[in-house]
Amino acid sequence: MHHNLWKFLNLIIVGVVLVGLIGCTAPVAPAATAPETAPPAVAAGLDACQGQSLVLASMTDQYVAAFRVLVPKFEEASGAKVTLDELGYVDLYQKLIADFVGHTGNYDLMTVDIVWSGEFGQNLYTLPLDDFMARDKAELQLDDILPVAWTLGEWQGTHVAYPLAGYANVLNYRKDLLEQAGIQPPTTQEELTAAAQALTDADAGVYGIALLGAKGPAVAQDYMAWVQQYGSRLLDDEGNPTLNTPENVEILQHFGDLFSYAPAGATDYWWDQRETAFRSGNVAMMEGWSIARAGYENPDISSVVGNVDLTVAPVKEGMEPQFGFGGWGIGINADSTPEQQECAWQFIKWVTSPEIQKEWLRNDGAPIRRSTMTDPEIVAEYPWMPILLESFEKGDGDYRPRIPQYSIIQDALGTHVNAFLVGQETAEQALEAAQKQVEDNWQ
Amino acid sequence: MRRALRGEGAYLLMLLPLLVFVAAIAIYPLLFSFRISLFKYRLTDPNQVQTFVGLDNYLRAFQDPIVLTSIQVTLIYVAGTVLLEMSLGLALALLLASEARLMRGARSLLLLPMALPPLVVGLVWKSLYNADFGVIPYYLKALGIDVGRGPLAELNWAMLAVILIDVWQWTPLLMIIFLAGLKGLPLEPYEAAFADGATRWQRFVHITLPLLKPTLLVALLLRTMQSFKVFDVIYATTGGGPGSATTVLNFHIYTVGMTFFDMGYAAALANVLLVIIAILSALYIIILERQQL
Repeated sequence: MHHNLWKFLNLIIVGVVLVGLIGCTAPVAPAATAPETAPPAVAAGLDACQGQSLVLASMTDQYVAAFRVLVPKFEEASGAKVTLDELGYVDLYQKLIADFVGHTGNYDLMTVDIVWSGEFGQNLYTLPLDDFMARDKAELQLDDILPVAWTLGEWQGTHVAYPLAGYANVLNYRKDLLEQAGIQPPTTQEELTAAAQALTDADAGVYGIALLGAKGPAVAQDYMAWVQQYGSRLLDDEGNPTLNTPENVEILQHFGDLFSYAPAGATDYWWDQRETAFRSGNVAMMEGWSIARAGYENPDISSVVGNVDLTVAPVKEGMEPQFGFGGWGIGINADSTPEQQECAWQFIKWVTSPEIQKEWLRNDGAPIRRSTMTDPEIVAEYPWMPILLESFEKGDGDYRPRIPQYSIIQDALGTHVNAFLVGQETAEQALEAAQKQVEDNWQ
Repeated sequence: MRRALRGEGAYLLMLLPLLVFVAAIAIYPLLFSFRISLFKYRLTDPNQVQTFVGLDNYLRAFQDPIVLTSIQVTLIYVAGTVLLEMSLGLALALLLASEARLMRGARSLLLLPMALPPLVVGLVWKSLYNADFGVIPYYLKALGIDVGRGPLAELNWAMLAVILIDVWQWTPLLMIIFLAGLKGLPLEPYEAAFADGATRWQRFVHITLPLLKPTLLVALLLRTMQSFKVFDVIYATTGGGPGSATTVLNFHIYTVGMTFFDMGYAAALANVLLVIIAILSALYIIILERQQL
């Protein structure tokens, strides 16, 4: 009896193996082709959304609060059902990729980080919006959107996402601490380093600057900001990675020096811990995305209310000022049905329209339009808006390469810059290793 | 019909759902992963091109410096967690073996960490360890100890810090296993030893330990296998850092698969890990079978 049972089991296993092998040899997914985009020739209004249901995947940045307020209003205005799915940075990226690669079309609308533009564009994950934009040109007021904001989703001449939330890299500082020490807000990197040193009093628990040092995207992106501020680049003119130039090594040294004036734990800081350090009052200065600015005036989360001001991010002495620009676009899934895509486009048009933008901003959104940033009411409420505008006008949206290989560069820098900061590698070794890792994985 | 439900037919019929289940969720993915490990296959490639490369991915694995260091790191992690957990687990089991009410209460309390998801445990410990806001550095500093960048960010301490998290969570499991082993020991040898005037230590070394050997072996293998597969705690606390100090093999596989989407290579690496764990499970099964004899 046992003998027969074994025979039967063997038979089943052989069967499964065969089925498995046959199944494995089938192509995994149909080859990608350019999506057929033929939006109706006539401009459609919100009524195109009647009876449609959309899922919006949003990063849990500050602006998600604005979505929470505005999505129900859009539903009311359009008759569509919009489900808001809030996801952390890494989760959002991985879920979107899984959705795109599997062609499952779960998410119709998604927030697209500026650095994903190249990858999403090259792989045709999101719908190019150019046809929609040409069709509805009359109502879009495209000129009102700041030129740099178009880097939020532009890839090789097409728009794979539409500008949604523009961030400027700015320098936040504690007015009170700088005044006490008789220090002017730094305008160059040299002044920044000197000020950070002067303001650090480790015994009193006060530090000059808060930085991102944690292994992964955090340290990689902060280092890239410093590369930009010293006027250097991570790619050459042909687009090849050049992480380990002598210039970049020197910048990494400067970046490492700054950590002597940061809280001891800074080599383990993500964005949220850097924010906590600044908001808890232990740190005099912090470079960071402008979207966090309003939060410093909120007594529930900040103990530095009324003591913070901001200025443009300092650049190397003598360098033509250019400021790091980042933020989010909003894209439409290429796998959604044409009806859903039409309604998703209506949502984008609606949320980025000048009328809604003020409400977007007041609920923790971030600006993209000149008219919003110069609106007298808005400027009265957010006195730092003119500095933001200045940063946007000289904004550099490409300091983090918006290319399909971005995640490879970020991962390599994320590991090796951190290794340098904790003393595992020298600056040369770190960038040498990062360059090699990027070259090995470049495809 | 009735006849079919008797004897061998019944066996087969009742086994069938399980076999189909196992085939669908275990054997098929296994074959798939073996197959793609022979291909150059990038998940995000819009044309989904798969090029057959033979054993190239495996050869690449053994030349990849990150893989070699991550295997080293994994071995340190496994040795550290298993040794500490085994000794602490045994000590706790001996301490709490009595049936007094206090001991029973203590035993239940000690089981709590096991009930928490490792990801949550990792996040909690990450805040406890935080150099500037964390509780642990706060008290260490109060004692005059320099915590530097914090336990998770110091090159020399990060590994110990993550090992301690694992020890905190999984020592109770070993305690339970050892307790069960202790309860099952025969009393006669102890009575004989007592009559011969053996000391406590002699009884422990010459009776308890040898009798407990099978239990110790099972526990050792079980924890070793689990430790090799560690991912969540590392993901939640250090992300493999500082530098590559805590990049265990499984975390590296995750990076290759979920950051580079280099599925062929990730599958090859996963299969290497699979072989290591398969050898350990084979040992485990052999020992279990011997015990039954």
